[in-house]
Amino acid sequence: MPVKSYKKYVSLFGFVAPAFVLYAVFLLIPTIGGMYYSFTDWNGLNRSYEFIGFGNFAEALSEDPDFIGSLWFTLKYVLFMIVLQNVFALALAVFIESRRRSKGFFRTVFFMPNMISTIISAFMWTFVFAQVLPQLAEKTAIAFLDQAWIGDPNVSFYSILIVSLWNGVGYMMIIYLAGLQGVPQSLKEAALIDGATPLQTFRNVTLPMITHAITICFFLTLNGAFKVFEVVYGLTGGGPGRSTQVITMNIYEEAFSNNFRYGYASAKSVILFVIILIFTFIQIRVMKKREVEA
Amino acid sequence: MKPSKTTSLLITVMLSIGAAVSFFPIYLAVINSFKTQGEMFRSFVALPTEIHFGNYADAFEKINLLGSTLNSVIISVLGIGGIVLCAALAGYKLSRTHGKLSNLIFFLFVASMLVPFHSIMIPLTRMAKSLSVQGSTYGLAIIYIGLGVNMAIFLYHGFVKSIPRELEEAAQIDGCNEFQTFFRIIFPLLVPITVTIAILDFLWIWNDFLLPLLMLTDSSDFTLILSTNTLFGEYNKDWSLILASLVLTAIPVIVIYSFFQKFIMHGIAEGAVKG
Amino acid sequence: MKKIWKGLLVTALTASMLAGCGNAGSQPGNAEGEGGAPGAAKSVKLKMFIAQPRLKEHYDKYIADFVAKEKAEKNIDVSVQLEMPTADNAAQILKTRLASNDAPDIFALHAINEIPSYYKAGYLEDLSDQPFVGKLLDSVKPSVTTTDGKVVAVPLETLSWGYLYNKTIFADLGMTPPTTITEMKAVIEKLKANHITPFVLSYKEAWIPQLVLPLAAGALINTENADFIERMNKDEGSFTEMKAMFDIFDLINANGTEKATEVGGDDGAAAFAAGKGAMWLQGPWYAETILKSNPEMDFGVAPLPINDNPEATLINLSASTSLAVSKSSGNKEVALDFINYVLDDQASGGFFQALKFNPISTVHTYDSYPWVNDATVFVKEGKSYQDPAIPQSVKDEVGKGLQAYYAGQMSQDDVLQALDKAWKSFNKVNK
Repeated sequence: MPVKSYKKYVSLFGFVAPAFVLYAVFLLIPTIGGMYYSFTDWNGLNRSYEFIGFGNFAEALSEDPDFIGSLWFTLKYVLFMIVLQNVFALALAVFIESRRRSKGFFRTVFFMPNMISTIISAFMWTFVFAQVLPQLAEKTAIAFLDQAWIGDPNVSFYSILIVSLWNGVGYMMIIYLAGLQGVPQSLKEAALIDGATPLQTFRNVTLPMITHAITICFFLTLNGAFKVFEVVYGLTGGGPGRSTQVITMNIYEEAFSNNFRYGYASAKSVILFVIILIFTFIQIRVMKKREVEA
Repeated sequence: MKPSKTTSLLITVMLSIGAAVSFFPIYLAVINSFKTQGEMFRSFVALPTEIHFGNYADAFEKINLLGSTLNSVIISVLGIGGIVLCAALAGYKLSRTHGKLSNLIFFLFVASMLVPFHSIMIPLTRMAKSLSVQGSTYGLAIIYIGLGVNMAIFLYHGFVKSIPRELEEAAQIDGCNEFQTFFRIIFPLLVPITVTIAILDFLWIWNDFLLPLLMLTDSSDFTLILSTNTLFGEYNKDWSLILASLVLTAIPVIVIYSFFQKFIMHGIAEGAVKG
Repeated sequence: MKKIWKGLLVTALTASMLAGCGNAGSQPGNAEGEGGAPGAAKSVKLKMFIAQPRLKEHYDKYIADFVAKEKAEKNIDVSVQLEMPTADNAAQILKTRLASNDAPDIFALHAINEIPSYYKAGYLEDLSDQPFVGKLLDSVKPSVTTTDGKVVAVPLETLSWGYLYNKTIFADLGMTPPTTITEMKAVIEKLKANHITPFVLSYKEAWIPQLVLPLAAGALINTENADFIERMNKDEGSFTEMKAMFDIFDLINANGTEKATEVGGDDGAAAFAAGKGAMWLQGPWYAETILKSNPEMDFGVAPLPINDNPEATLINLSASTSLAVSKSSGNKEVALDFINYVLDDQASGGFFQALKFNPISTVHTYDSYPWVNDATVFVKEGKSYQDPAIPQSVKDEVGKGLQAYYAGQMSQDDVLQALDKAWKSFNKVNK
C-alpha cells in the first residue's frame, strides 16, 4: 500500500506541478500577501507599518457607510445579473440552436460584443447614452430615449445592467450552446414522439442534461458580477457621488485615490473574497446535488 | 424538435430584433470611424456622406498597429499555450484522483478564481519585479499562465468526468505510461473544451487592461488595448480616432473567431459522439 | 522518505519553471549598463515616468537633446526609458511602482496634491542645492517647497485660474467679469434676458465640481479665515465655516445647462466652445481642447466671486505637474543633470513654449497666451493666492459630495459632514 500511494503522489505531482507552481507564484502567494497587509495599517507608500489585528475589518463593517452602501449596491447588481444574464443567454442558446441556416450568423452577432474589451465598450456606451440617444430622441421624438442614462442614479443602475448584459450574455450563450449540443437528439425526439410539448421536452429532458452548463454559468456570473469594475468605472465612475459605486470601486478608491490606505483596502477585498466564497459555496452545493453525472 | 411555422417565424423575428440591438453600438463605431469629427457630431446614426480614411491612417500610426498587434499575439499565444498545457494535465489528473490532497488542490484552484484582482495587484507586481518577469512581453505571458490556469482547470475537471475510464485502462494494458496515455488518448478527446478555453482566454488576454498596464513599461512592448488607451487624452477625446482604432483592435479578434468557429462545431460534435 | 521525495520533486520542478521565467524575463535587461566598462563611455539607463501622453513628442525631443548634451559634455551614453501612462491611471501605477521597489529615476507628480505625502514617505530627493532653484519665479517656488523648507521638484505646469468666460458674449452685451456675487447675479439676469445660458455645467467627472472648493476656500482663507487649514489639520476646524461655497455653487447650478452629471470635461469644452453657455467653471488647462473644437473662440480667465466682498474675488495660483528625483535612484548624477536641464538657460524657453505651459522661471521670456495674460493682470494687482493645501482625499470627497448634492441625494450639511470626516481620517492616517 505505501508503495502504491507513493506512486500515486508522484504521478499526481507530475501532472499538477507545472500549473501549481505558476499558480502559487503569481496568484496564491500574492493573495496571501494581500491578506497579510489587511492586518496592517500600511498606506501603500510608507516603508513602515504596524499590525493592527482586526482593526481594519471592524472599521469596514461598522464605521464605513460608503463601503456598506457599495456592498448593497453590488448585491443588487449581482442578483439582477444572475437572473437576467442566464435567462437571456439560455433563451438565445435555445433559439439559436433551433435555427438551421442562420445559426452561425446569430451566434456571431450575439457573441461579438464579448470580443470588445470591457473598458472600451463602457466608453463606447457612454458615447451612446450621452450623445447618440439624446440626438435620436430629438430626431425621432421617442421621448423615452431622452433619459439621464448615466447621470441619474435611478436610471444609471439599469444602464450599467444593459452594458453588462450586452457584454456578457454572449459568453454564457456559448457555454449553453455547447451544453445543448451535448443533449442527444434521439432523447428529444423520443420525448416528442411520446407526446410531450416542446416546453415539456425542454423542462424535463434538456434542462436536466445541461445542469453542468448551468452550474458553470451561474458560477461565472456570480463571480464576475461581484467583481464588476470596468463597466461601472467607464460608464459612471461610481457617480454621481457614490450612488453607483460597487465594492471593487470602493476598494480601488481606498487604495489609490484616497489616503492610499492599502492595508485597509486589502481588508475590504478580503471581506469581498469571503462573501464571494460563501455565495459560491452555497450555489455549488445546491446545484451539484441536481447535476446528473453523464 | 420541429417548432411550428409561426413559432419559428416568431423566434426569427425576436432573434433579429435582439441582434439589431446588440449590433447597434458596433454599427455606430464602424460608421463613425469613417467620418470627420464635425460630421460625426452632426449625426451619429447617419451613414457617412463620404468614406473618410483619415482616422484609420492616424490610428495606424498612433497606436503603432503592427508592433502592438505582434505584442498582443505573442502574449496571447504563449499565454494560451501554457494555460492549456498546464491546466489540461492538472485538470485531468485532479478529476481522476479522489483523495483529500487532490480535493484540497482542486479547491485551492477553484477558490482562487474568486480573488479580486485589485487585492493581489501590489503583491503581484512585487513578485514579478523580484523574478524579473516585469517589463517584458514574455514575462507577462508567464504571469497569464499563473493567473489563468485556475479557470481552465475548473473547466477541464468538469469535462473529463464525461470521458469513460475504460479508455485509459485499455491504453495502460497496451503498455502506455500515464503521460503517454494522457497525450495520446485523453488530450485529443479534450479538444472541444480546449477550444472553448482557448477562445475565452484569448478574449481575456487580448482585451485585458490593468495587468499589462502594470507590467509593461516601454511603449514598444504595449499591447493593442494599452496603445488604444493612450488615445484617451487627459482633456480630450478624439472619438472618431478612438473608434477607428477600436475597429482595428477588434478585427484580429473577429478574424480569429470566425476561423475558430469551424473548430468549435467540429470539436463539439466529435466530443458529443465520443462522450 | 515519501516527504523527502516529494520535496525534491517540487523543488526541481519549481527550479526548472523559475529558470524558464528568468530566461524569458531577462530580455529587456533591467540590469544592463549600470556600471559600464572603465575607459569607454559610461552608459546609464534612466527611467522616467511622466503621465502626459498628449505631449509625448515634445518630451521625446527634449530628452533627445539632453542625451546629446550629456554625451558631448560628460561622455555618458544615456538611454532614457520614458513611461507615459494616461493621467487616469498615473497615480495608481506610480504608487504600485514605488511600493514594489521599482521607482523610476525621475517621475512627475502633482505639486499640491501629491508632494506632501510622497515627501513624507521618503521617496523624494532634496533638490534645494540644485542650480535650477535660483531660476524659479517667486510666485511658483512655494508650491514645490515642503513645509520644512526643502525644494523637492521642478515645476512644469503652473496654473492661474478661476472660471472661463466667453469674451465675445461679454463684449457683445457690454459686460465685464463681475467682482461680487451680486454683480454676478446681474450678469446672469442680463444673459438670460438675451436668451443665453449663463453656465456650462459638466459634472460627470467628480474633479470638476470639486473645483469650487479650492476657489471658495482659498478666497475665504485669504480674507476672513486665515488659519482654517491649520485648524483643520489639528482636528479643530469644521467645514461649516466654508458653507458659503454653496451660495455660488447653487447660483451656478440654477443657471446652467441640463444633465450636468452626463457631461464630461471634453463635452463641456465642446459646449463652451460652441457658445452653449457664457461661462464655465473650469481652468485654462482646457484651452487646447476648446480651441481644437472652435479655433475662433475668444475666451478669458476671471476670478470667481463667492460673496459680496470684492477683496475675496481672487485668482488661484498653483502648480500641478512637477518633476521629482527618486531618493533611491542609482543614477542620481544624470537624473539631477536632467532636472537642471529642464530650466536650461537656452533650451528651456522653447520647451515650455512647445508644451504650452506658463513661464515659471526667469529664463522663460516667451509670449504667453491671452488667457494667461488675463490672469496675470489680476496676479500683478495682488488679487491672487496660493492654492490652499487641502488634502487630496478631501478634494476627492468634495467632488463626490457635490455631485451627489447636485443630483439631490445629499444635503449641504451631509456634504460638509462628509468633508469633516474625510479630513479627520486624513489626519488619523497621516499622523
